Amino acid sequence: MLDLSLFLIIAGVFLVATLYLGWLGYRRTVSNEQFMVGGRKMNPIILSLSYGATFLSTSAIIGFGGVSAQLGMGTIWLMALNILLGLIVAFLVFGKRTRKIGKELGALSFPDFLGRRFNSPFIQIFSAGIIIVGMPIYAAAVLLGGVNFIDASLDINRDIALLLLSVIVAIYVAYGGIVAVMYNDALQGAILFFGMILLLVFTYSTLGGVTAANQALTDMAVDPGVGALAADGMTGWTSFPSFGSPLWYTFVTTFILGVGIGALAQPQLAVRYMTADSSRSLNKAMMVGGLFILVVVGSAYTVGPLTNVYFFNEFGKTSMQYAENTDMVIPMFVNLVFENVFLGDIFVALFLLALLCAALSTLSSLLHTMGSSAGYDVWRYLHARRIGVDDPMTVLRGKDGGLPKAMRASRICTMLMMILVVVITYYMPLSIIAKATAVFMGFTAAALLPAYTHAIFSRVPNARAAKFSIVIGSLAWSLWAFFIHTSTSVNIGLCRALFGKDSLASLPWTKIDPLVIGLPISVLVLLTFLLVDHVRQKGQPSTA
Amino acid sequence: MFGIDDPWIWSGYVFAILLTVFTIVYGWMKHNEEED
Repeated sequence: MLDLSLFLIIAGVFLVATLYLGWLGYRRTVSNEQFMVGGRKMNPIILSLSYGATFLSTSAIIGFGGVSAQLGMGTIWLMALNILLGLIVAFLVFGKRTRKIGKELGALSFPDFLGRRFNSPFIQIFSAGIIIVGMPIYAAAVLLGGVNFIDASLDINRDIALLLLSVIVAIYVAYGGIVAVMYNDALQGAILFFGMILLLVFTYSTLGGVTAANQALTDMAVDPGVGALAADGMTGWTSFPSFGSPLWYTFVTTFILGVGIGALAQPQLAVRYMTADSSRSLNKAMMVGGLFILVVVGSAYTVGPLTNVYFFNEFGKTSMQYAENTDMVIPMFVNLVFENVFLGDIFVALFLLALLCAALSTLSSLLHTMGSSAGYDVWRYLHARRIGVDDPMTVLRGKDGGLPKAMRASRICTMLMMILVVVITYYMPLSIIAKATAVFMGFTAAALLPAYTHAIFSRVPNARAAKFSIVIGSLAWSLWAFFIHTSTSVNIGLCRALFGKDSLASLPWTKIDPLVIGLPISVLVLLTFLLVDHVRQKGQPSTA
Repeated sequence: MFGIDDPWIWSGYVFAILLTVFTIVYGWMKHNEEED
């Protein structure tokens, strides 16, 4: 167990820096535009580190690192997809147009962007609703990752750790807005970057070097063997699961595609494009972002499987046999591997800090997105109705983005959403972090990605097509998740309550992620309505 | 390659590294790009 006083000294320095950046953000936040998109002039280095640190969190390191420990290095394809879709396509294809159109429209949040682009309060409110309902689950998973690490490393009460983390994040997000969030993200991202390099280098050196460690992991497929997972298609920790096996479907459709594609429609990431002052800034940010993802995620997905070699050498068990929970593999490994090393306590304390940074950076961004969705997008609309503004869009087009009370509403909602997240954290089952991440990312992709793509590429966006695509995409995803996909239906419990079983289908359907069903349906609905409306317009007599 | 036999795994690493190189080269080449 790590010496608490040592960690408190290091964490104290970090906390002072965090609160200082929060104060800096508070001083620079006097309007809605500054609270929501940092006045649209964020430094590209800060933008890239903030994007990376928001994208990659304890979920990627603790959650997916743990999944890699259980299922092997196949997750490396998720890293490739993170760079290809989550960075290159996101910045070059989506980011530049989102920034440009968002600035023209004066949009301040992702739902605001969609609402203004389609001239539809319904789309704004519905997409804000998706964030308010779905994002707390993802945020709870991120918070759980941070708490798990504290639990494994320090001799302090788990509830107190949870409370401390939540209060720190809630305060600097609520008062400092996006400026404080992004400044802190950059600091936390830099610490995380060097922390992960340290972990990767130390892991390989402990296990005898790159080739020796990888070979030992490859050999473990035979002795002790992949165990019960062999029946599901697992072939080893340095090989991909058998094509078409249940594990292959889970691996590819949930973890790789769910998070890989899901990254494109993440509201907390999309709003970062709108903080850039130019396309040039996005290009510069991409330069740093690629290396950041490669190092942080690559280290986590490589160290995860290698923990099996360590646990087998030390205890004669695989990682999962030792930790019994994917979410505890990395925290336990880090504490053990540095235990008898010179200055090991300092390494653990620094790595704990890096992990806390990963949790705080993503959590703060999610909290900012949830708070602004509830306060800015939903409350402002309801307020407009209450004060008798007939056309809510006139409120949406306020001079600095809306009513002056909107920022205060966003702050209050931020606090309320944090409380909700803490409550959800207490109800999270074991081995849930990676799954909860994939669930939220898959849901937002199925619901919002086709409409978002249409919004930025069409010269005349079709609100009717977008509305149906969003609603039916959400519905298709939800029905599949509730009644077919066992990984989610088991946790929701509705299928069992109504039908007495966890799924209404059989293999392989029960292993196919709802994203793979919901997204094509959402695309199909969008294209169908676009085609129907196009044919209708052509059939109408010209008024010219 | 480096103790990993399955081409699906090491090709994933190679692909990710190539993509990272692309982001650095592209970002560098376009860091003074004119606005649309």
